[in-house]
Amino acid sequence: MPKVKLPRKSTIVDMTAMCDVAFLLLTFFILATKQKPPEVLAVKTPTSVSATAAPDKSILITMTKEGKVFLMLGDDTKKNAIIDDFNTTRNLQLTSTELAKLKKEEYIGLPINKLKSFLNSGQEMPASLMDGIPIDSTNNELSFWMRSVTNAYAGGDQSELQKMILVKGDGEALYPIFKNIKEALKANEIFKFRIVTEGENVPVGSELYKTGKEVKK
Amino acid sequence: MAEIETSRLKKRKRKFIKRSTRVDLTPMVDLGFLLITFFVFTTTMSVKTAMNINMPIDKDGIKDDVCESCVLTVLLEKDNRIIYYKGAAENNPEIKQTGYAPAEIRKVLMDKMYKVEKMRGKKESFILIIKPTAASSFKNFVDITDEATICNIKRYYIDEIKYADKQILEKNFY
Repeated sequence: MPKVKLPRKSTIVDMTAMCDVAFLLLTFFILATKQKPPEVLAVKTPTSVSATAAPDKSILITMTKEGKVFLMLGDDTKKNAIIDDFNTTRNLQLTSTELAKLKKEEYIGLPINKLKSFLNSGQEMPASLMDGIPIDSTNNELSFWMRSVTNAYAGGDQSELQKMILVKGDGEALYPIFKNIKEALKANEIFKFRIVTEGENVPVGSELYKTGKEVKK
Repeated sequence: MAEIETSRLKKRKRKFIKRSTRVDLTPMVDLGFLLITFFVFTTTMSVKTAMNINMPIDKDGIKDDVCESCVLTVLLEKDNRIIYYKGAAENNPEIKQTGYAPAEIRKVLMDKMYKVEKMRGKKESFILIIKPTAASSFKNFVDITDEATICNIKRYYIDEIKYADKQILEKNFY
């Protein structure tokens, strides 16, 4: 019986295609991931089951662990208007160079009486050294800021503004600070706002899970 | 001599073999996938979500129908403690204490909600009143409102500590 000769095939596969795929995926993932903007204020937010994404453009009130309050005006189109309005309504008498400098600041975290000297000092100030905006019930400067915000947005769609107002707080911050922020917003007739939280899954078996609806409070 | 040299050259030319330009791409594929896995595992998905908070407008009073037995009040205390009672603070309610773990507060809320449903016929009659004390943290506040969402409580209100609540706290816990 003659031997059946099985042709021996090489096990080497052309790797070019696989290599292409691998690097294509790699480039895709790298380009598709959104870079997290460097956080100037380290805040560890609590978690919630809310599924609404926080808007990028926002009026963000940040509350740190120590209870300091910072204001970030994320809407570039209105930022100048808000700061100009604050300058006139609070009678700060800032010069145009001082105003320009204030507008360049990423966040506001100083009481009114320290604002001018800071702008003139020409030095960078880390957030940890700033006092934060005073929010005591006797001297609630945040409500003045919010007044300027509402002034700047007056005439526009108010529901848009409500969507933009975000409160971001460290989980360890004490409640009275949040209450004062609430008061500042309330004083300007802002009754709806949003709290920035870290996403969390809806617990299996809970009422909300059973309804299976989109979480929207 | 010259002759020999040419012959050698000729020989060399003949010996020159065309080498394949193919490279083994296996290590490169390995590297590619290694990088992919690395990036996939190291990136943390951190999507910031926004939780809506509606505050009541002080001017108009609440006109909802409120029955005393439908109300559960939770006082957020320090050290992640929750003190809760049913009904009004003035009527000497039974004071109980619990925590934020799902087995604790969620059970309390659900039990009460089902009780109200049995009594009143609908879940919506249940009212949760949240009163954070000055010693509670922001996280406590977010957690309890979140818990209200999880339990699908339609009516919950955020209020401040009143005199009667203070007395309850002082009498029972200090």
